[in-house]
Formats: sequence, C-alpha cells, structure tokens
Amino acid sequence: MIDDMFRYPDDREAVNAAKVRALEALLIEKGVIGSDTVDTVLQYFESVAGPWNGGKIVARAWLDPGFKKRLIDDTPKAIAELAMPLGMAGAEGEHMAAVANENGVHNLIVCTMCSCYPFPVLGLPPYWYKDPVFRARGVREPRAVLREFGVELPAETEIKVWESSAQIRWFVIPERPANTGNLSEGELATLVTPEAMMGIALVAAPSKP
Amino acid sequence: MFTCFEEYAATSMLGGPESPPRRNGKLQFSSPWERDVFGIALTLAKAGYFEWDDLRQCLIEAIQKWETANCTQRPPWDYYERFLEALLNVIAASEVLLPDEVAAVLVGKRPIGRSTDDQRGIQPASGHPDWGGNP
Repeated sequence: MIDDMFRYPDDREAVNAAKVRALEALLIEKGVIGSDTVDTVLQYFESVAGPWNGGKIVARAWLDPGFKKRLIDDTPKAIAELAMPLGMAGAEGEHMAAVANENGVHNLIVCTMCSCYPFPVLGLPPYWYKDPVFRARGVREPRAVLREFGVELPAETEIKVWESSAQIRWFVIPERPANTGNLSEGELATLVTPEAMMGIALVAAPSKP
Repeated sequence: MFTCFEEYAATSMLGGPESPPRRNGKLQFSSPWERDVFGIALTLAKAGYFEWDDLRQCLIEAIQKWETANCTQRPPWDYYERFLEALLNVIAASEVLLPDEVAAVLVGKRPIGRSTDDQRGIQPASGHPDWGGNP
C-alpha cells in the first residue's frame, strides 16, 4: 500500500511535459510570451544572482587581506571591484554588508521581521530561514541553534547575531579551512556554501580524492 | 522592498507549503518541463497578466485539494504538477487563454484549427479526471 502511494506512473513525465509544451507553444503563438522568454526570466536565478557570486567574493577575501578589509568597510564598493553580474546592482546589491568570522568570533545572520536576504550573493534562502522559531531562537539562543545545525563552537567563542533588514542585508565571510593552501581562487570559491555565508555552517576542507 | 520582480516572487513563496524546491540557494528542477512551467509563470506575472499572489493562492488551493483527496485516487505527490494545475487555473481566471485553449493544454495539444507541429497530443493519464489530464 505504501509503495503504491509513491509509485510514479511511467507516462507521467511525458504527460506533464506535453502539457507544458502545449502551453508554452500556445502562449508564444498568441504573442503573450516570446520564444526565449523562459530562458531569459530564469537567467536571473541560474546565472545572475546566486551563491556562486558569494563564493567568488569570499575566495577573494581569503586570498587578499586588503580586499577583505575593503569588503567589510564598504561591501558594495568592494564587490564592484570584481566585475560581478548585473544582479549585484540595484537595491538588493547596494544594501549588502559583510562581517567576518575570525578566531574567537562567529557571526550568525537572521531576519526577525520578514525575509530580508542577500539574494545576489546567497541565492534563494532555505525553507527554515522564514520559520518564526528559527528567527526567534537565532536571536535568543544562537549557540543552541548552531549546535543543532552541527556547529559546535568553543565556549569562549563570541557569537554575534546580525539582523538583516530592508536597509542592510548581512552575509558572513567564513573562515578559510585549513589545508587549502594549494587551491586556486576558483577552487576555493566552490567550497563556500550559502549556509556558511549565513553563519549556520563552517566551510569544510575538500575531501581527499 | 524589492526592486527585482524575480526576488519578490521567490521570496513571497518562501516558508510555506507552496515553496518551490530548492537546494544550496538554487531552484531545483528535476526535469525541463518543471523549469519551463516555473519560467512561464514568472514571465506572465512579471508582464502583469495576473498577480503573483493570485498564482500563489491557486497553488495553495491546488496543494490543499491534493492533501484532502482520497489517498487511493490521487496521484503521488509532485510539486510541479500542482504548480502546473495552479498556473492553468490562474491563466483561466485571468482570461490569458480561452477555456477551449486551456482544455487543449490539459490534453497536451493545441486547440483544433491551429497550425501546429504537435497536434497528436498525448494519451490522458489514468486516475482522477482533474489530475488525469482529460477535461
């Protein structure tokens, strides 16, 4: 019985694909949308704004202390040095601010009001970001929340909680993992996850092949 | 306040049962038709054919309908199948397409009389008429 609930009819993918194909063709035929519209609108999520931008920024900050300082002092201005995609412009990009994890200090980003989030560098937030319990507990007991995410910090480590808003959208420059001295800037960028830039994870060193 | 429609649209669907699947900050599509149907919805709402919140409400209703249906008659869970159902409902309500056009889409072909390279359509799936594709 339980197997039946999860059984997927063989033709279901074809049925749904045909419906969407017919819908798109009809909308194009009626002049409602253009033939390249879907690709154009999804480009924002697939190549303009997303966590790959944050990875590049963090990797540069790891390799260039001067850039890291400028990134913390004036985040949009420093990001502008990197010739990032157009998604970095506009209010979403202009209102970003970075804080850096360092020995003895860990930063955590929350949004208690709505769902302010630095989309251009982190992409879409996870489900729980908007959860009232996460938002409240992140402020009230961040150490316990981090422990539940698998981040066990020394008792002496200070945890700073930053609240994103429409005026400022924070992201974290996580600490560079050990044993990554031989990695290129591009390789370092791939290690950085959205969770690490929210402060609810640490960046893991690459596993050995 | 958002200046980018795409961000507004995605943000408005976060945190609820109507949230689109995503992973590591990116939308997660398991097949091209899922990507296409999400892109079509974004495009139509961005162009003002309907409000994104209207689509969202239709999606909530489509999900509730699936959740409250008889387990033996409803299809297995598929987020984008419900998304497609919601999109067609909001398209019909906003009269972007005529009723016969929506009906044709439900069987995977265009209305009779239109020039097309895809007139053969598809075989309707078995099961509940609302979900089987046979209007």
